[in-house]
Amino acid sequence: MVKNTMQFWLKRLKKKAQKITWSAWGIWYIDPPKDVSLDGYRIDNVIQYTDTVITIYFSLVILTLIYFIFKYRARPGHKAVYDKGNTKKHVMATIAMGLLVFFSIDIVIESMSFKDLREAFWNFPKGENVVKIEVMPQQFAWNFRYAGADGIFATDDDVVPAQNQMHIPVDTPVLIQIAPFDVIHSFFIPNFRVKQDATPGMINAMWFQATETGNFEIACAELCGNGHYRMKGYLTVESQEAYEQWLSDNAPLEDDEDDWGDDWGDEDEDTQEIPEDWGWTWKEVQ
Amino acid sequence: MSEHHEQSFWAQYIFSQDHKTIGKQFLWLGLFFLLFGGFQALLIRWQLAYPEQPVPWWLFGKLLFSETAGIIDPDKYNALFTMHGTIMIFWAITPLLIGAFGNFVIPLQIGAPDMAFPKLNMISFWTMFLASIVLLASYLLPEGTAAGGWTSYPPLSTPVGGIAGEGQTLWTLALTLAGTSTMMGAINYIITVVRMRAPGMTYFKMPLTVWGLWLTSILNAIFVPVIAAGLILLLLDRTIGTQFFVAGGLATVEGGDPLLYQHVFWIFGHPEVYILILPAWGIVSDLLSVFSRKPAFGAKVTAICMSTIVVLSSIVWGHHMYTTGMSPLLGKSFMFLTLLISIPSAIFFLNWLGTMWRGNLHFDPPMLFAMAVLWVFGLGGLTGLYNATITADIYLHDTMFVVGHFHYTMAASVLFGGLAAIYFWFPKMFGKKMNPLLGKIHFWASFIPLNYVFFNMMVLGYAGHHRRIYNPSEYEFLKPIIGLNESITLFAIILGVAQFVFLFNFIYSMVKGEKAEANPWNATTLEWTLEGPIPHGNFATTPTVYNGPHEYSNPAVKDRDWIAQSEPMPT
Repeated sequence: MVKNTMQFWLKRLKKKAQKITWSAWGIWYIDPPKDVSLDGYRIDNVIQYTDTVITIYFSLVILTLIYFIFKYRARPGHKAVYDKGNTKKHVMATIAMGLLVFFSIDIVIESMSFKDLREAFWNFPKGENVVKIEVMPQQFAWNFRYAGADGIFATDDDVVPAQNQMHIPVDTPVLIQIAPFDVIHSFFIPNFRVKQDATPGMINAMWFQATETGNFEIACAELCGNGHYRMKGYLTVESQEAYEQWLSDNAPLEDDEDDWGDDWGDEDEDTQEIPEDWGWTWKEVQ
Repeated sequence: MSEHHEQSFWAQYIFSQDHKTIGKQFLWLGLFFLLFGGFQALLIRWQLAYPEQPVPWWLFGKLLFSETAGIIDPDKYNALFTMHGTIMIFWAITPLLIGAFGNFVIPLQIGAPDMAFPKLNMISFWTMFLASIVLLASYLLPEGTAAGGWTSYPPLSTPVGGIAGEGQTLWTLALTLAGTSTMMGAINYIITVVRMRAPGMTYFKMPLTVWGLWLTSILNAIFVPVIAAGLILLLLDRTIGTQFFVAGGLATVEGGDPLLYQHVFWIFGHPEVYILILPAWGIVSDLLSVFSRKPAFGAKVTAICMSTIVVLSSIVWGHHMYTTGMSPLLGKSFMFLTLLISIPSAIFFLNWLGTMWRGNLHFDPPMLFAMAVLWVFGLGGLTGLYNATITADIYLHDTMFVVGHFHYTMAASVLFGGLAAIYFWFPKMFGKKMNPLLGKIHFWASFIPLNYVFFNMMVLGYAGHHRRIYNPSEYEFLKPIIGLNESITLFAIILGVAQFVFLFNFIYSMVKGEKAEANPWNATTLEWTLEGPIPHGNFATTPTVYNGPHEYSNPAVKDRDWIAQSEPMPT
């Protein structure tokens, strides 16, 4: 009952949120990059709910402030009321308002956020169709590794495409494990609303699922040196067939044992020397 | 008590042990670095709006970037934002709010002859001075100064991280020295407040300014040692080849952990936000009361709320690290604890409005800046909610949204609080009046562009603009924000120019300003009971405190609307 009522109001607020943010921000408002992921809407929603409620609270504060400035301005004959605001009534009123803020904003966004984490962002996909990719950022490029035919990472048949090139099939969960070679980087795809730090000594995980085909940019979000700004990756989301074709095009040749760092005809001028024999056995998590 | 002995020039002005002189020394140091850091901000803004175009002559482009014909290169750009952050936080705001006003105001407001340890106080300033020299010396190195961001996350900030030169080493050393200075100050402030209050000055009769500065000092005394430990380990990594913070492909030994540094940094770093803003909160609470001619609404509750925030601030550092891959359980706990802060914040925020309610508002420059803090801290505080939310933070972390948010809280709120304090205490510090008209011009010329700049930084971040990038036009998805980046820069320049109005007013008033009377604002706190230039030792006779700090418009007082803390209440 309580839950239904809350959901009802949340939906109404969400609709209002869209209207209010658009009209209030006017010319300032710039759309975030188009969301092409399965769960990105969750992040947009929690942001929009926060937009709405804080706009309301902030407007109330500012309207009160403006009203006070006008009503209680110093002028001949006007006097302040001697009031320390320390009676039980006053204290209770301010505490009540503090709690109101807490329960109308904080608790709501917390439950939204926890729900999204449980249902989506920390609910890692399992099963056969999951595409697994190892990502190894370095100063200042992205390296990707697919398990290849044997389905096992760090073997000779791994598919290691040209640097900065990542392909994934549409409508399929993609599970990523990420560990950098040198310093901290952060894997950021604005169109997917995802970001994950890559910290030396750790293997971190994240997942997402594309809902549209197209080309999208990958950015490094953590300062990693003077080339940080141009540490750009190219994500291609394509059909399952095109993806499989691309994988086989990039598969290592049988007699070519050492294919690390081969140039696959990529025209990106920012390629870096790849550390030898990178890649790790897939870290299985329960 | 009075010590009217003659002192040599050196003892009186340079190696002074008088808290008032040391306060002024910190004020000058802070103002110098404020201008320096602000100038760097304009260079950063120039690069973001007009990437890789020569910096114009009025920003000294050819002079500063002579090898590249006025163009800022990526290394210099990284150095710019690194030093902008470092300088603004540790060399501008800390000396201004804590060093200058902490020193000048605390002993006067609690009725003490000086700080508890005058010599330590002097050493604290000169350690800071030494730190400044070390920091500035890093600019003279051939490879330039530090460029690892103000957080200087290793391994980037270690010698294997790829930043050339020893600038980063000097940065680490300078910050350690600045921290040492802060620790000495903190110990001094805490003990002064605990031991040297005048008779009758109970804790809840202390002005909220002293409360804010005292709580800040407690946080400083506890948490600056934490960052100092981290910095010393980093310094060892940089100088003698240890690898405390190096792992992965660059490590030659096992056991280093870059994440450890982040924990250590933010265990200090989050309280640091409150270290900077608590004095501003206290000052604003008091000033709203003075200029509303009304007691601070729920002053005791405000003090308790600030203390609660001090406790909470020390257990929320993890919200800076949601994307590092730390344990989900930790993430959730940190989110909940962070959100708890909004309760005490909302309460004392309402108390500020309560102070103005049914008051008699005088809009002098200090009041304008104090009210502006309500605006900017309101926005800064509320936008913190996005960053506290784990899911929203996945998208917004390390974007310009975060930059806009913390500029609202740290830069705007603290700076406006500091400017309110300067306009308010200037007559007591220098015995002269500041020009109120210029003050009001300075206010509006700062308030409007500042909001344009910082609000739109958040809009940029929502549009996906990630932080610390040299050239946003590298990315297709950032094409729509180019126009906004340009207009932000325009307003940032206006904001910068507006500060010259302040600077002119400040220096002109000091030299040629009208002589101020002892209590120009009809304020109640003890510093305003002192006539003329305050001698070394402050009070001729130790005052006895009868009233709270906010006795305005008390009906028991007949002929005026205030009564000093040291005057017995008429019966």
